[in-house]
Amino acid sequence: MSAQALCKEYGKGAGLVRAVHGVTLEVELGESVAVVGPSGCGKSTLLYLLGGLERPTSGSVRLRDSSLERLPEAQLARLRRRDLGFVFQAFHLVDELTAVENVELPALLAGASPHAARVRARELLERVGLADRASHLPSGLSGGQQQRVAIARALANEPLVVFADEPTGNLDSAATTEVLRLFEELHANGQTLVVVTHDERIAATADRLISMRDGAFVDETKLTGGSSRRLSAMTGLEV
Amino acid sequence: MGRLLLIYRLVAGDVRRRPVQSALLLVVIATTATTLALGLALRHVAQNPFARTRAATKGPDVVFEGQLRAGDHRTVTAGALWKVPGVAAVGGPFPLAFVRLTDPGIDVAVNAEGRTSAPAAINQPLVTAGQWVLRGGAVIEEGLAGALGLHVGDRIHLRGQSFRVAGIALQTEQAFYPASSSGLVWVTPGDAARLASRSDRLGYGVDVKLANPAATDAFFNSPAAMNALPGTVIGKSWQSIQKDDYRVVTIDQKAMLIGGWLLAMLAIASIAVVVGGRMTEQTRRVGLLKAVGATPRLVAVVLLAENLLLALAGAVVGLLGAWLLAPSLSDPGRGLLGTPPAPPLTLTSVAEVALAAMAVAMAATIVPAVRGARMSTIRALNDPARPPHRRPRLIAVSARLPVPLLLGVRLVARRTRRTVLASVSLAIAVTMVVAAITLQQEVDVREQGHNAIALTGLLNSNSVGGRATHVVWILGAVLVVLAGITVIFTTWATVIDAQRPTALARALGATPRQVSAGLTTAQLLAGVVAACIGIPAGLGLYQLAGGSVAKANPSIVLLIAVLPCTLVAVGLFTFLPARAGARRSVADALRSE
Repeated sequence: MSAQALCKEYGKGAGLVRAVHGVTLEVELGESVAVVGPSGCGKSTLLYLLGGLERPTSGSVRLRDSSLERLPEAQLARLRRRDLGFVFQAFHLVDELTAVENVELPALLAGASPHAARVRARELLERVGLADRASHLPSGLSGGQQQRVAIARALANEPLVVFADEPTGNLDSAATTEVLRLFEELHANGQTLVVVTHDERIAATADRLISMRDGAFVDETKLTGGSSRRLSAMTGLEV
Repeated sequence: MGRLLLIYRLVAGDVRRRPVQSALLLVVIATTATTLALGLALRHVAQNPFARTRAATKGPDVVFEGQLRAGDHRTVTAGALWKVPGVAAVGGPFPLAFVRLTDPGIDVAVNAEGRTSAPAAINQPLVTAGQWVLRGGAVIEEGLAGALGLHVGDRIHLRGQSFRVAGIALQTEQAFYPASSSGLVWVTPGDAARLASRSDRLGYGVDVKLANPAATDAFFNSPAAMNALPGTVIGKSWQSIQKDDYRVVTIDQKAMLIGGWLLAMLAIASIAVVVGGRMTEQTRRVGLLKAVGATPRLVAVVLLAENLLLALAGAVVGLLGAWLLAPSLSDPGRGLLGTPPAPPLTLTSVAEVALAAMAVAMAATIVPAVRGARMSTIRALNDPARPPHRRPRLIAVSARLPVPLLLGVRLVARRTRRTVLASVSLAIAVTMVVAAITLQQEVDVREQGHNAIALTGLLNSNSVGGRATHVVWILGAVLVVLAGITVIFTTWATVIDAQRPTALARALGATPRQVSAGLTTAQLLAGVVAACIGIPAGLGLYQLAGGSVAKANPSIVLLIAVLPCTLVAVGLFTFLPARAGARRSVADALRSE
C-alpha cells in the first residue's frame, strides 16, 4: 500500500483547514506501522483516507494495482469488503446484534453463506478469547471485550490490511494489555497493520513509528520490535 | 419581552436550520386543514338552501307535467284545478318541449319551458346572471349551466336550433341538474312551439300553490286533482323535489365525513412522525439550552412554540387552499340558493380549522417536549439514542437474504414501532383508494346499465354517482400525499437514527446502492403490510358506508394491482431520502462518537 502527496482540506477561504498535508507513505505486506501525534494532528483523517472511507483533496492512495481515489463508491466498497478491516476507538458494534452476529456481518455483506459466516465468526471469537461470550450483546460486554469483538470482525474476510483508529483509546490499562497482545499476535502472523494511536505502548510494538503534527509527517523511526510482555513488565502491568 | 424575543430567535433559528423538515410539517398540517375546511364548507351546503330557493322563486307546492295523446287536439287549460279543495293559486299551463341540448362533446336531455317576459305569481325562476327569456335567447338552470360550463353569451343548440344563453336562473320546479335526470331551460312560448316536432309533440307544465303546503299527499289523493288536467299527467310534490336535490349533497357529505375521519387519523399519525422525528434531533439542542441556563419550562415552551407556529402557518395555508378548492366541491349544491360558487367559509370555520390544527400539533408535541425538558443536561448533551429493539428471529432470517433485504429487515427489526406507524399511515391511504376504486366501478356499472343520464364526451363527474366518486378520488389523492409525506419523514428518521449502523455497513463493504436499497426495503415492507390491510379494509369501509361491494364487483386484477402500485409509490417517495442517507460521509458518521 502506498500514498503519494496525500492532502485533505476542509472548508474554504479563511475557514480552510488542512487536516492532512503532503503525506507520502509506503506500507509493506506484513508490516506494522504506528502513526502517533497529538489530538487533531490529522492521524484519524489519514487512516480514513488510506482506508478509502474518505476521499483526498489531492494526492493518491494505491492498494495493489488500484488507485483508491479514482474508484467509484461501489468498487471502493467491494475493495473494503475484500481487502480492508477496520477497528475503531468507539468499537462501533451494532447494539442489537450479539458478538457472533457482529463478527459474521462482513462475511454476510460479502455474500458468504450464513453457515460459513457463522463458522468463521465462531473461529475468530475463539481466537480473541471470547468463544463463551458469542451470544452476548455489546451492552453485556466490557470495553476490552467489545474491542476484541471488533478486532475479530475486522478479520472476518481475511483482509490484506487492518486499520485501527485509537484501538485502546476508550480502554482501561488491563483491557489495553489484552488488545495489545492481540495486535502483537496478528503482527506475528504476518497481518499488515496500520495503527493510529497516541498510546506509546501500542506504538512501541510496531515495525515503524511515524510522528505527525499539523497534518504532516515530522519524524519516522524504524523499531526493532518490542513485545507486550516486555512493555507490560516495564509499566508494571500484569499480563 | 426579552424572553419572548429569545423564544422567537430560537424558534426562527431552528426553522431556518431545517427548512425542508419545517416545510414538510407545514404541508402536512396545511393539507389536513384544507380537507377539514372543505368538510365544514360542505356542511353549510346542507343548511336548508332548498327552502331559501323556494321562497325566493315563489316555488310551487305541486308541479304537473303533461302531454296530450296523439290525435287529441284539445286546448289545455288549468281552470279545473282552481276548483280542487286546498288549491290557493295555479300557474300555467306553460308549453314544454322535450329536446336534446347538443354541442361538441355534449348531448343532454332537457325540458325547454315556454315563458313570457311577465313575472309569474307562482314559480318565477330567480335570474342569477344575465336576463330573463327573450326571442332566440335561452335561460339555463343554474345546476345545468355549472355542469356544462355554460355562461351568459355562449351559444347552445336545442334540437339543432341555435340559441344564445341569455341568462342563468335558480328554480325549485324540478331537482337541479344532475340530481334531475334531464336539464331545464326557459325560452319564449314561440321558441318552445318551434322546438316541438311531429314525433316529439309539445307538452305542458302547470304549477300549483296550496293553502297548506304540507298537504301535498291529501291533494294527490283527491280524484278531482288527478282528473283536472288532460292527457298523460305526472305530478310531483315539492317534498320529493327537495329529496332529489339533497341526494347529491348527502352522498358527497358522506364521502367527506368518512374521508375526514380517515384524514384525521392519518394527519395525527403523520404529525406524530414528523414532530417525533424533529424532537429526536433536538435532544442535543435541549442539552445546550439547559447548559447555558434555560429552565425546563423555557425549553418546553421553545419546543412547543416552534411546532405551534408551524401549525398556525399550516392552518393559514390550508384555509387558503380550501378557499380556492371549495367551489369545485360545493358545485353539487350549485343549483340551490345559499350555495354560491364562492366558498362558504365563515369566521367560525376558520377558527375551528386553526384550533384543530394547533390542537393536533400540541398533542403530538407535548409528550416529547416535556420529556426533553425533564432530561438531565449531561444526558441530553450526550444525545443518547433510544436503544434499538433486538428481534432474534428477524435477524436470523435476514442472514439468509441478499444484502439490501438483510439491511432492510434489520432496520425494520430495530425500530418496529416506527414501521408500524408508517404501515398504518399507508394502510389508511390504501383503504381510501380501494374505496374510491370500488365506488368508481359501482357508478360505472350503474350508469352503463341504466343509461339514466345520457352524456357523451363529458366528464363522469357530472353525474350524481360521478360527483361522489370525484369527491372520494380527491380525498384519496389528499390521503396519498399525506401518506407520502409520512413515508418521506419515516425514511429520513430511519436515515438519521441508523446513521451509525449504515455507515458501519458501508465501512465493512456494503455499497451505497445496497444501503439505499436497504433503507427503501424497510419502507417497502411497511408498504406490503399496508396493502394487505388496506385492500380488505377499503372494501369493508365501502360496505360500511352503505355501498355494495357485490354490486360494484371490483375487478380482482385491479385490486391486486393496488399492491405493486403501493410499492412503486412508496419506492418513489423513499428514493430521495434513502439515496441521500446512503451517500452521507462514512467517516463523519463514525467519527461523531
